[in-house]
Amino acid sequence: MPMHTQSWESVGPSLDECIKCNICTSYCPVAEVTDKFHGPKYSGPQAQRFRENGQPQSPDHSVDYCSGCRVCNEVCPTGVRIAEINARARAQAAAEHGIPLRNRLLGRSDMLGKLGMIAPGLANWGMRQGFARSIAEGVLGISKHAQMPTWSREGTFASWLKRSAPNRLRSERKVVYYHGCSTMYYEPYVGKAAMAVFEHNGFEVVVPEQGCCGLPLLNNAEFPAAEKYHHHNLEWLTPYARQGYQIVGTSTSCTLTLKEEAPDMLDIHTPEARDLALAVWDIFEWLRELHAQGQMKTDFQPIDMVLPYHPPCQYRAHHIGSPVMDILPLIPGLDVRESHARCCGGAGTYVYKKEKYQIAMDVGQELFTWVDEQRPVTMTACTSETCRWHIESATKLPCRHPIEVLAAAYGLYDLEKRKLTKE
Amino acid sequence: MKRIETEILVVGGGATGTGIAWDAALRGFKVTLIEKRDLTHGTTGRYHGLLHSGGRYVVKDPVSATECIHENRILRKTHAHCIENTSGFFAVTPEDEGPYPDKFLEGCRATGVDCAEISVADALRREPLLNPRISRVFEVPDGTADSFLATHATVQAARHAGAQILTYHELMGLIIEGGDGNRRVVGAKVRDVAKGMDVEIRAQMVINATGAWAGMVTQMAGVAISVVPGKGVMVAMNHRALNTVVNRCKMPADGDIIVPVHTVAIIGTTDERVTDPENLRIEPWEVNLMLEEGDKLVPNLSKARVVRAWAGVRPLYQEDYAGASRDATRKFALLDHKERHGIDGFITITGGKWTTFRLMAEKTVDLAASHLGARKPCITATTAVPGADQGNYWLGHRLHEIEEQKLQGQLICECELVTRAMLENAAKQNPLLTLDDLRRDVRLGMGPCQGGFCTYRAVGIIHEMGKAGVWEGDAGHQTHAAEEWDVAYIQSPARNVNGSGSVGDRPQQQGGSVGDRPQQQGGSVGDRPQQQGGSVGDRPQQQGDRPQQQGDRPQQRAGQTPPLFNPNLLLRDFLQERWKGVAPILWGRQLKQERLDELIYLNVMNADHLPDDQLASAMTDFYLFDTTPNEHEVHP
Amino acid sequence: MSDLFVIGAGLSGLMAAYTAARAGLRVQVVTKGLGSMHWAAGTVDVMGYTPEELSRPVQRPLEAIQALAHSHPEHPYVLLGSHQVQVALEEFTALMAELGLPYGGAGGFGALAHSTSGDNLLLPSAVGALRPAFLAPSAQLAGDMARPEPLLIVGFTGLRDFYPELIAENLAKQGFQARAAFLPLSLLTEQADRNNVHLAQALDLQARRLKLGGELKRLARAGERIGLPALLGLDDHAAALADLSAAAGAPIFEIPTLPPSVPGMRLYKALRARLWRMGVRIDVGLEGIGANVIAANGTAGRVQWVETATTTSRPLKHRAKAYLLATGGILGGGFDSDHTGRIWETVFDLPLTIPQARHQWFRPAFMDPAGHPVFNGGVAVNAAMQPVGADGQVLYANLWAAGGALAGADPIQQHSLEGLAIATGWAAGQAIVRALAQ
Repeated sequence: MPMHTQSWESVGPSLDECIKCNICTSYCPVAEVTDKFHGPKYSGPQAQRFRENGQPQSPDHSVDYCSGCRVCNEVCPTGVRIAEINARARAQAAAEHGIPLRNRLLGRSDMLGKLGMIAPGLANWGMRQGFARSIAEGVLGISKHAQMPTWSREGTFASWLKRSAPNRLRSERKVVYYHGCSTMYYEPYVGKAAMAVFEHNGFEVVVPEQGCCGLPLLNNAEFPAAEKYHHHNLEWLTPYARQGYQIVGTSTSCTLTLKEEAPDMLDIHTPEARDLALAVWDIFEWLRELHAQGQMKTDFQPIDMVLPYHPPCQYRAHHIGSPVMDILPLIPGLDVRESHARCCGGAGTYVYKKEKYQIAMDVGQELFTWVDEQRPVTMTACTSETCRWHIESATKLPCRHPIEVLAAAYGLYDLEKRKLTKE
Repeated sequence: MKRIETEILVVGGGATGTGIAWDAALRGFKVTLIEKRDLTHGTTGRYHGLLHSGGRYVVKDPVSATECIHENRILRKTHAHCIENTSGFFAVTPEDEGPYPDKFLEGCRATGVDCAEISVADALRREPLLNPRISRVFEVPDGTADSFLATHATVQAARHAGAQILTYHELMGLIIEGGDGNRRVVGAKVRDVAKGMDVEIRAQMVINATGAWAGMVTQMAGVAISVVPGKGVMVAMNHRALNTVVNRCKMPADGDIIVPVHTVAIIGTTDERVTDPENLRIEPWEVNLMLEEGDKLVPNLSKARVVRAWAGVRPLYQEDYAGASRDATRKFALLDHKERHGIDGFITITGGKWTTFRLMAEKTVDLAASHLGARKPCITATTAVPGADQGNYWLGHRLHEIEEQKLQGQLICECELVTRAMLENAAKQNPLLTLDDLRRDVRLGMGPCQGGFCTYRAVGIIHEMGKAGVWEGDAGHQTHAAEEWDVAYIQSPARNVNGSGSVGDRPQQQGGSVGDRPQQQGGSVGDRPQQQGGSVGDRPQQQGDRPQQQGDRPQQRAGQTPPLFNPNLLLRDFLQERWKGVAPILWGRQLKQERLDELIYLNVMNADHLPDDQLASAMTDFYLFDTTPNEHEVHP
Repeated sequence: MSDLFVIGAGLSGLMAAYTAARAGLRVQVVTKGLGSMHWAAGTVDVMGYTPEELSRPVQRPLEAIQALAHSHPEHPYVLLGSHQVQVALEEFTALMAELGLPYGGAGGFGALAHSTSGDNLLLPSAVGALRPAFLAPSAQLAGDMARPEPLLIVGFTGLRDFYPELIAENLAKQGFQARAAFLPLSLLTEQADRNNVHLAQALDLQARRLKLGGELKRLARAGERIGLPALLGLDDHAAALADLSAAAGAPIFEIPTLPPSVPGMRLYKALRARLWRMGVRIDVGLEGIGANVIAANGTAGRVQWVETATTTSRPLKHRAKAYLLATGGILGGGFDSDHTGRIWETVFDLPLTIPQARHQWFRPAFMDPAGHPVFNGGVAVNAAMQPVGADGQVLYANLWAAGGALAGADPIQQHSLEGLAIATGWAAGQAIVRALAQ
């Protein structure tokens, strides 16, 4: 599958926007801390003029160190799709040189999720054992320092949905919930908090058949598999989109993938892909819209706390401003402070890679230092799960999804124990 | 006055002239070549880069077609590193349907041009941006060529064989002896433009290989020939939309070809008779036509970023010909002036196309040898030039070498991936007067920013090299010993890593490139006395007290030599030269780019308020020729 | 709904945001990407050359503005009057002093407030030309060529964006005593030359700059001042400058070079931090793509909302009481154009004074002293910075404009980029505050 320009809608031709101004490289958090990555301008629009189908070999090595944070896209004054150009270059190199086993594993978060759920206690225990982690590092290249997510001890989100089916709100107003792999296998409580918020606001939640968005596969350059995943989601979800449902997700990376990253990186510009993208919302984007229409309930209980909140780079890549900051400050007593750090460094599966772990930690230092400056605090918040795990590991503070905070403000959720109050 | 004695004097440093010098030197002749400016200043440096399969001529001019395919196969081997094996399509668009495609197929068979019809689906798979409404596609062995590199490589081969190549040496007049019916050209009066010196060259045979300028040269012998400059405008798109040459399958006309060369796609071309082969206007209607025609092959190509426009002139010779210049034959014309005009020792070669330069050279040297006495036979068809061992060019090669050798920190022209060592070696090894010469060598400034960043860096580096004495006071114009002048790897980042792409190691090379000198002990580079060229600033000046108003430069014209490598002049000249090629296509994204380049040079650098603003080089006026758009949106 | 919605986070947009926020307005700034501060020299150029006299630098820019009134009544400075320009500049210098990135002029710091006869500084550029600038950050002030000390220009071997010998030679040609020297790049970084910003960050480390200072001390002769490329620290710049000057034992100054501009980035980050502390939202990555307006019909129209692009082409609507267009003209992306010669403003489609024909845009010489007409036109405004039509009537009652988008000046040619941005941004902010108070 050729990775280069297939149409004028492909991201490759956006290199024409580049005026070589160097703003992207100046703000790239990875280029700042390592010289293994020569900056988004070099790897992106500049190198793209030297790439084409059918060359004797893919010339790219350094592009592998791009973390995909998309800060470059954000600061670019002309609209070059730098991060996507890099991702496609990486996929081209992978298609020629092969993908290491480690990256194939890390790319399959749904498979890893299912595997761990066979015996979650054991899996969690194993992930904490130094010897096991050292072997994983030596054999596969998975960093022994990176904090692994914890498989749920209360079953999957799907199993909870089944168990709690009789309690679900029925309503004329419906919304589709896209939960993503992390909610399913690692953090079903985030899904529960989201459901509580939807229902409190009078919406019946439909959770249709859905699959992994494929972002880890995209980030690990395994495009053919990612394309299959996206086609499945198109099959399952586009009908809902076309019936007028809003498809709302709590994982900001997943919703970004469905909206833009899958179509753009895979060069899928079909009417189905467009219709689905138009129906996808990040949950706080959706809540903000609801609030703007005067329909969001604001019967909050006070939460007296300083809450450092980090908007992940992928959240900003939605180009929706900062909806969390439009909603959370409505909660009385809550002093939400927004981080302006560029990237926590985790960058999805990036931090799990031995050769990239230290880069991830160095990139995140900007955020970790800022969190320190907000202390004393009891927890932080962030809308992306992999970021949460990385931030927890670096700051030693619990990190919550803002939807959990909102559910707690509605009195429906225990923020410490991460349980619904009525459970 | 300097005097040179030689057997064959070749006038013209394009593909043909340098090919002649190479061929003649290999055959054992003593050869001197003069070119009034830099190599490829003429048509060779201004065309669209096509290595013809001959497909274009199979119906209209079958003899040319056969010549092309024959030479195409030769050049792929002799000049391998200058050629990219892109292949070529002849595509039938909705506008082109008719009897021509079948005639085309038949013509290919008849002329020996390899041709295979491929399915439109296949063509679209290989080139997804092609017009999906194309009905038929034929594949032929078109390729693309870097004519700058090819000429350099040919020249190096010539020098290895003993030829003397003199750039920036302008023919001022022919030296003719004898009277009526008995005249003989015995040499030429030449001006070394860089040094401002006269040179006299004595030769047994003068070969006029000046292409579109051929008529002006023959005039110096009192002979009038009809060489019509046929101007063609070309437009370069910022990135390759295609990786295959794509031609319209129809009788050749304007704008019917898109050629991917290096990092750009070139849409060409027009055909207008002009009188002056040197200063060429680029009209808005010509640019618009290229974009409209380009859209027929690649829909929406005109919405992509246009990065540059330029014009070249075809030398069109036909005896007593008065028709449209396009329809004049593209066969070359070899004129023996002894036979035709009773002037001995004088041959003119003109017409032709780049693809057949070697053949033109062979025929020309054959003719010269018939007069001077044959030496060895011609071997250019089977002799590879230096650098051909690198194999055919492929688009990613510079990126690949830079990635492998981790040379990212060395990039001077980031758009085109030119490293500092490449720049320095080219500057050391190739005579140059302006940065445009360096541009032809290594592609400096040829990318989207059109010199926005690299102009400053290149000026600084050249200046540093000058201060370090790299040219030993001769500022780039000494003729190096042949074995020191190695341009074979001039475009390869990996081969220039140690600061030496050349065969011999010079003392300055120790410790790396010139810019990487070990720390001076205590003293500094500036300790040496203010160098030549400081004359303007020697007197203390009041702020705002300028010796000359800008725009007023009476003294530094022909007859005087400006200090070579004055950095301020290099800077101004190159910025103006880049401007000349963007002014006709400045809108949208390129207009924004140019405004950033203005911010850099006019505001941050304040480079329009530098000393020495009254200096001019031999190229300054050429660069100032007005190419800004006029009102002619449509063909008047 | 905010009080003021600013499109563009360049110097004019941020200055307007600051002015409005200080008066208590709720301000939101959106920007497609980051602005031209990141490419410019980091000085405040008020007027370097006048349209009449493009070869000789202006000596007293505020006076030169007064002289413009007759010949260029449409120039934004003339619309504002030199007094307002001066007040705006004073606001800026006060703000920058507060932010720990002080700017000063030819008379040292604070001289501006008391005099309209402030002289331009003449600062050496990265090619050794003399740039007129009215205010400069303290790191550049010691480069003022009106000072008598001889200059030592120090570069780093292999640093691609700085050539000390060229600078020294050109300064010498202009009658100044200048010489050049090199230090190894390893004093800044163990890696190859990267990006100016990364090199500047290397000097945020005290150990490094003390070492560098020591080397400078070794190189310098008594009485010399030392010019370095502009990379003396990014986030710890004030300390970097102090450490280096102390360790070198000589006055130190920076010379701005090719983009990215470290001085410009410091300025941006300082302003941004201040605005954040004031509660101003700055959303980067939100591109203004259109607006919904009620057209003028005898009286001025009104902007109802501005749309910004999102990933799904489900645009975001932004409503505010007042809107400010600060999108930077051609350079900032606020104007787009095509091959037919059409040139248009990309958010509100405001009329432009630029001819809609390419043959009227350019002159043959790149460095033509009169500049290129295409860069001189833009959005015409009245003295209150509100866009007006050909008849001089305000187009939209709740719309203002500032900065590079404005008609009547070529700020790059005239070296008035930051002066115009600050003055028009401040003036627009003031006008908006007044309008909303009613």
